[in-house]
Amino acid sequence: MEFDGDVLTIGAELSMEEIREFEQFIRPRLEYIETIAIEAGGILQSSALIALLVSLKRTRPELNIPFLERGMTTSGAYGTLHWMCHD
Amino acid sequence: MTKQEQVKAIFIEEAGEIIEKLDVDILRFEENSADFNLLNEIFRGVHTLKGNANAFGFTRLGEFVHHFEDVLDHYRSTQEDIEEHHLELFVGSVDIIKEVMTCELDALPDLPSEYGGCLDRIKKLIASKKNLPIEDLMEEACGSLKDLASEFGLSCAEQFENALSNAIQLSQASQSEGLNLYRIDLTLDADAYKRGFDHLLFIKLLGEKAASMESFFDMEAVPPLGQFTCDENMIRRVGTIVLTSQTEEEVRENFEFLFDHEYRVARVEPVAAAQERARDAEKTQEVVKTASKGSSENPSASATSAKSTIRIDTFKLDELFDSVGELVIAQNFIAQNEKIRAIEDESISRTIETLSKITKRIQDRVMSLRMVAIRDTFDKMKRVVRDTSKKTGKELRLNIQGEETEIDKTMIDSLSDPLIHIIRNAIDHGLEADAEERLNAGKKVEGTITLRAYHKSGSIVISVSDDGRGINKEKVFRKAIERGIITGDENLSDSQIFGLIMQPGFSTADTISDLSGRGVGLDVVKTSIEKLRGKIEIDSKEGEGTTFSMVLPLTLAIIDGMLVQAAGEIYIIPTLSVVESFRPEREIVHALKEKGEFVSMRGQYIPVIRLSDVFDLPVSERLEPWEGILVCVETEAGRIAIMVDELVGRQQVVIKPLGKALSRLKEISGGAILGSGDIALILNVDELRPLIEASHGGN
Repeated sequence: MEFDGDVLTIGAELSMEEIREFEQFIRPRLEYIETIAIEAGGILQSSALIALLVSLKRTRPELNIPFLERGMTTSGAYGTLHWMCHD
Repeated sequence: MTKQEQVKAIFIEEAGEIIEKLDVDILRFEENSADFNLLNEIFRGVHTLKGNANAFGFTRLGEFVHHFEDVLDHYRSTQEDIEEHHLELFVGSVDIIKEVMTCELDALPDLPSEYGGCLDRIKKLIASKKNLPIEDLMEEACGSLKDLASEFGLSCAEQFENALSNAIQLSQASQSEGLNLYRIDLTLDADAYKRGFDHLLFIKLLGEKAASMESFFDMEAVPPLGQFTCDENMIRRVGTIVLTSQTEEEVRENFEFLFDHEYRVARVEPVAAAQERARDAEKTQEVVKTASKGSSENPSASATSAKSTIRIDTFKLDELFDSVGELVIAQNFIAQNEKIRAIEDESISRTIETLSKITKRIQDRVMSLRMVAIRDTFDKMKRVVRDTSKKTGKELRLNIQGEETEIDKTMIDSLSDPLIHIIRNAIDHGLEADAEERLNAGKKVEGTITLRAYHKSGSIVISVSDDGRGINKEKVFRKAIERGIITGDENLSDSQIFGLIMQPGFSTADTISDLSGRGVGLDVVKTSIEKLRGKIEIDSKEGEGTTFSMVLPLTLAIIDGMLVQAAGEIYIIPTLSVVESFRPEREIVHALKEKGEFVSMRGQYIPVIRLSDVFDLPVSERLEPWEGILVCVETEAGRIAIMVDELVGRQQVVIKPLGKALSRLKEISGGAILGSGDIALILNVDELRPLIEASHGGN
């Protein structure tokens, strides 16, 4: 996890334990973050991370999460994953 | 294009197809409103359209089709008779659907003016069928809107299902033997993560044996941070479409540690099997109907079976076609290369011959990929005929022939408008004004419009005939003189006189209707057909009727050309324009002072055009016309005789666009690479003018 100015960068390959830590980290800091970026090349390990990102976006709609806004990701392990937020 | 955009593009294409089919089916239903199988088919189309429209946020379209679907559903379930004015409402509703679709695609804020009125009539109809007073109707309408709101905005169920359906269709298209297609729905409990399960875990397991896999996460239930905890699964459901070699049992084994209610595995039939089943069902239905009602009843001629097809971007087809064009050129080069021909080896000759045959076969097959039956275009014309008939109050019958005739897809798209105009013109002006005039002429009250497509000498002809009053040749001639289109001194054939009605601003109509007769239109039709490298021929007999024939090339990418040589250069004349070629007798060639050379043929003086003069080619010795060959061609300005040194042959050539410099030469329409590797120019015969005429500005 890297915090550079307004941009918080996290890896896609967070384990459940790391996602919990990330959730605890971001809760009090959400107002100060402009963008959450996901490191390129990583492969998601848990659907809880997508859910957390969606929850963050719903809490603060102006938050910029390019990974989430793409609506999909592709990998050899999972094929194509789409998330439908209906917002 | 992003995946979302791709899916949207697929929707737009499918929606267009559904609407086109609705347009045709609704007319068939109007003809036979007892055909409830057809009504079911229409209902299914409307239902699919509603789902897709809502999924893509086209809510205005979605709302309209939602109510229209209600009406259709009522009639298909009760099978009660439909009154004629309600049938009219159905036809009008399809019009509104078409227009609203355009508004949605172009993101236009204003809906068609008839939208509200038509929607109200639909709502009133359904209310009357349900015996609801108007107040209840309004209440119900509000209720429906609330339902719609939940359908459009809140309910993700439909969007989710649509996304999965699209993924299934895409996977079915790429399904090959040995691969099975499954839909898996995961609805994990909230404590799934605590139990050590994760959606991605299962997707990964499936992925180990999958050829392709696509999953959709419904995130609607995920709350803001206040109510969120990442330890709990808040993803309501995940749908996965997987194409795999695994059996259903093997797929199920992946989920053996989940509760039964947390997963569902369903095998999706391959397209071919589904089609087979549909065909069997159709056959069974037909047998049952025939047995119970006799052979006179037509078991839903409308029910169309699905075809085993895949969608291919026409751009890719064009690329393939270009490559095949290059292949043909290379093959011709080998076949005609003198050095290769000089090799006296039978095996080489045989190989070249085989190569030639295979190349021809590939060329034919690739050509056939671009060809589609003209049936759909003709079907659309039924609506045009119906509407024009109603508008003019003329009783008529549409006779369609040759709807299986195939035509280049790129041409089909440009053909509708000219065809619509000619048909309207035929009904409005071609047919007699009223029943009395027809009866006085010894004809049936009901007029006949015949739409016909057929092959003729390597071209496709699409004709529109009417059995009306025919064209008054003298009236056309007089009008053309009045309008300054001709001087009256010209020696014009019947066909050329009829052709005058397609000149800009020409109209012999005594009254102007909103259908035709404004003097604009037929010239536009002519231009449109010429853009397709075709031409229009008019044949008419006064008192008997008129036929407009659009003569079109088989394809826009290849032409059948006559290769000629003039001043050492090879030129190609499209054979569609060639009337005849001959070496003239000295006696029939005349040179008139300041008017150039003419050849006298069957009482007509035809101007002789020398290509060496047109293109300013250097010639060592100026031959006399009787020493060369004259190729007589039909042009829009009448016949001309092109003088050439010799005829080289006839060949299908792949048309290549010209560079900027040559494209300014209006006498040339394109270029082609010959088998020898040489380049030949394709003549635009309509722009070849006698020198005297050209020097006077073509007047």
